[in-house]
Amino acid sequence: MATLIEKDLIDSKTNISTSRRNFLKNLASGGLVVGLPLTACASAPLPGENKNALQPNALLQITSDNTINFYLPRSEMGQGTYTGLTTIVAEELDVHPSSINVINATAHDDYKNIEYGIQVTGGSNSIRTHFLPLRHLAANTRLVIRQAASQQLKQPLASIQTDDGKIVVNGKALPYGEFADFANQLEFPEDAPLKDKSQFKYMGKNAPRLDGLAKSTGTAEFGMDVDFEGLHRAALKRCPVFGGTVKSLNADDAKKMPGVKSVVQIHNGVAVIADHYYQAKNALPKLKIEWDRPETLSKFSSDSTAADNGKGWFKTALDSDESTNAFEQGDGLDALKLADTVVSGEYWAPYLAHATMEPMNCTAKLDGDKLELWVGSQAPDLAKFAGAYYADVPKDNVTVHSTFLGGGFGRRSATDFVAEAAAIAKASGLPIQLVWSREDDMQFDVYRPAAMAKFKVGLNKEGLIDSWTVKRSGPQIMPYTLDNIVDGVMPSFLPNGMVDWMSKAGYSIFDSLTVDHASVEGLYEDYDAKHKSSDHVTVDPGLPLGYWRSVGHSYSGFFKESMMDEIATLQKQDAVEYRLKHLTSNPKLANTLKVAAKTAGWKQPLPKGHFHGVATHASFSSFASQITEVSVKNGQLHIHKVVCVIDCGLAINPDIVKAQMESGIIYGLTAALYGEITLKDGAVQQSNFHDYPALRINESPEIEVVIIDSDDAPTGVGEPGLPPIAAAISNGIFAATGKRLRSLPLKV
Amino acid sequence: MISFELNGQTVQVDATPDTPLLWTIRDHLNLKGSKFGCGMGLCGACSMLLDGESTRTCILPVSAVQGRKVTTIEGIGNPDMLSTLQQAWVDASVPQCGYCQSGQLVSATALLSKNNNPSDEEIDNAMSGNICRCGTYPSIKKAIKQAAKDIKSGNGRLQAVSHYDPSNTNNMTQEA
Repeated sequence: MATLIEKDLIDSKTNISTSRRNFLKNLASGGLVVGLPLTACASAPLPGENKNALQPNALLQITSDNTINFYLPRSEMGQGTYTGLTTIVAEELDVHPSSINVINATAHDDYKNIEYGIQVTGGSNSIRTHFLPLRHLAANTRLVIRQAASQQLKQPLASIQTDDGKIVVNGKALPYGEFADFANQLEFPEDAPLKDKSQFKYMGKNAPRLDGLAKSTGTAEFGMDVDFEGLHRAALKRCPVFGGTVKSLNADDAKKMPGVKSVVQIHNGVAVIADHYYQAKNALPKLKIEWDRPETLSKFSSDSTAADNGKGWFKTALDSDESTNAFEQGDGLDALKLADTVVSGEYWAPYLAHATMEPMNCTAKLDGDKLELWVGSQAPDLAKFAGAYYADVPKDNVTVHSTFLGGGFGRRSATDFVAEAAAIAKASGLPIQLVWSREDDMQFDVYRPAAMAKFKVGLNKEGLIDSWTVKRSGPQIMPYTLDNIVDGVMPSFLPNGMVDWMSKAGYSIFDSLTVDHASVEGLYEDYDAKHKSSDHVTVDPGLPLGYWRSVGHSYSGFFKESMMDEIATLQKQDAVEYRLKHLTSNPKLANTLKVAAKTAGWKQPLPKGHFHGVATHASFSSFASQITEVSVKNGQLHIHKVVCVIDCGLAINPDIVKAQMESGIIYGLTAALYGEITLKDGAVQQSNFHDYPALRINESPEIEVVIIDSDDAPTGVGEPGLPPIAAAISNGIFAATGKRLRSLPLKV
Repeated sequence: MISFELNGQTVQVDATPDTPLLWTIRDHLNLKGSKFGCGMGLCGACSMLLDGESTRTCILPVSAVQGRKVTTIEGIGNPDMLSTLQQAWVDASVPQCGYCQSGQLVSATALLSKNNNPSDEEIDNAMSGNICRCGTYPSIKKAIKQAAKDIKSGNGRLQAVSHYDPSNTNNMTQEA
């Protein structure tokens, strides 16, 4: 890792600030590429190490009693990676996926995300980045078992076949496990051939999810379900405004409450520890706390009409000359001067909470200088670093037990709740499970940033797009995640003080040097235009931010596809045809749009009062187009149907791809129709599902998903289904009512 | 001491009367299948059958179930003995993150116990108290219809276990 960073710095062509910028940019874009280790790192022992087992690396193990363990390097949060990655291993290992014992991996260097250099699950890259490495690993493993069988049974290698986890030779079938010990002593091969698509038994076929049984019987273990003798429960009172600290505390009344064992103060609040959760929760209101509130955030109110507060602040910044360029092509902004017509549009998207079904929680047990954590996390190694820091123990003394995640959507890549649990365990000396209430979860999230954007699009005489320019104002995510990440990616030879400085000063370093790609992604890429520019200006009240399903695309899909619809309307052109005219260099996206139009019956007659809306958007290396059928009656929106066409390369399990499209659409519909986090004097106003509603089954439309048949390598599906939906609805509303909605959530 | 029937067995707990049934069952009786989602009866993750009705237990004091019949997901079936709905759930790959699914299955069980041929609208009405953030609603509808077919034809069972086997939770009657 150290050498990679050095190389990156040396490769930078200009000066030190550029190289630093590249380094940070790489953090943001995941440019620190390391290969999936195919042999064990000497640095850390393999999980479940067993000298009689065949264990080429930390991911795969075949024991002599024929258990095939796959240590799942990515976190299962609903997206289906538990089934998907196991299916990839199963295919080349030649064993039925359901015969593989899948284990949620602990924190270990071998499980780092190949593109990010940290052990994080996000960016819809699990299947894409593991497709080849896991196939090679499994194919090489199958080969070494065949080689072992060949030598042990004294039969030529060519006569040794496999079938569903068994060596087949001379009409006999022997389990792989019988050869594991011997295979372990052979040199591990590196070049076993991979199967051709025509030979696939499991990939590309529908099969039930491997975690479906546990999750249909209440037996899947989530972080919240962890329990052991002597475990206490903790509830935490935080300053209503993020970043506030305790000025004074009187815990006398809280300590008298039933079941309360201890009250401790930590970095961001006061924790009550009790035998049971409801006892801790009931005692929290008895704490008397005065807070020191952070100055900037405390001044921010969403409903303010001032030019330097609320939405007005975003607008002021957008209209100012201040900006940093994120992308330029051709003559950029200058090209607008030559345009025959300039069309402009301005759009808004609010802050959003994740609202995973399982509120944040973490269990921490500190025994001397050894810390154990039980947590459903999208980033077990970052959880480990946070635990070490806040319990003040060496990193190598932290063990992370990973559970299933009751929803992630990006929320569980942050480690704030792990830090709290470790700090409470440290301060109290008790093994504790920190449980967040729904209100905690809603009011202390790491939010999807609010954003405002203005497009200016120059058209030529034929009414086609010649220049596409856009400026976005809002806060950036990366500065908030630096503190989380830096500890994980900085070379270990750097002194702690420097790492601390990097993380604490990260915000200002970052923001003064570069634009987080996540701030502008999706605003400018999809359509052909000779000239392009994308600019950003930071407006940041200080509300913590995080990755929210599809990240920047979650708003840019709405912004860009609304703008495109407005242009097509002004040009009196068909919304699908006009888009297709600008997708010449984006053939996969164009194809999904054509298929969507055909599937939905675009331009075909609809029931009276029903209208189509269309949107198309590429994200996470995949391509999605959606066409909605909506009606508006008496001011009430009805969504009758959504057609979604996805090109994600080879669909490892088409049923899961379909489910992820439905999931992205429904998660996106909640945001499009209801989602809005607002602040009053810096405090989040929403608290539970009554004032931050989630789409329910009776509001959920019929969804038809078409998966483009493809031989290309698989790409993302967890996020790409979300970005088009808000615009597909809004464009349908425009068709139905003539009313153009430029703000989210959509208010008909 | 409060006494009620849990998954076919009489249990006694020493929780204070205002303790929500959900936490009594999760913390005192150590059955973890029912989930905490909102604490306000809004999301349905905590749903249990109370005398056959799908009930939000995060806001129901345990004193309210004295002498009554409570069934949790563990009392509907287990990995070795699935109810027809659970089987349909597995076959249709309904769960994604899975956290809300115990509650979804409880509400679906209550629905099919009264109506073995529900329309889309009847499914919507019976299931609209259960939020799923992963958006498994289309699969839920499909699985309920499949299970209803099996139940109607006499090939199904709404509960696969007559009582919950406490052999692996020996603290069923233990007080906390």
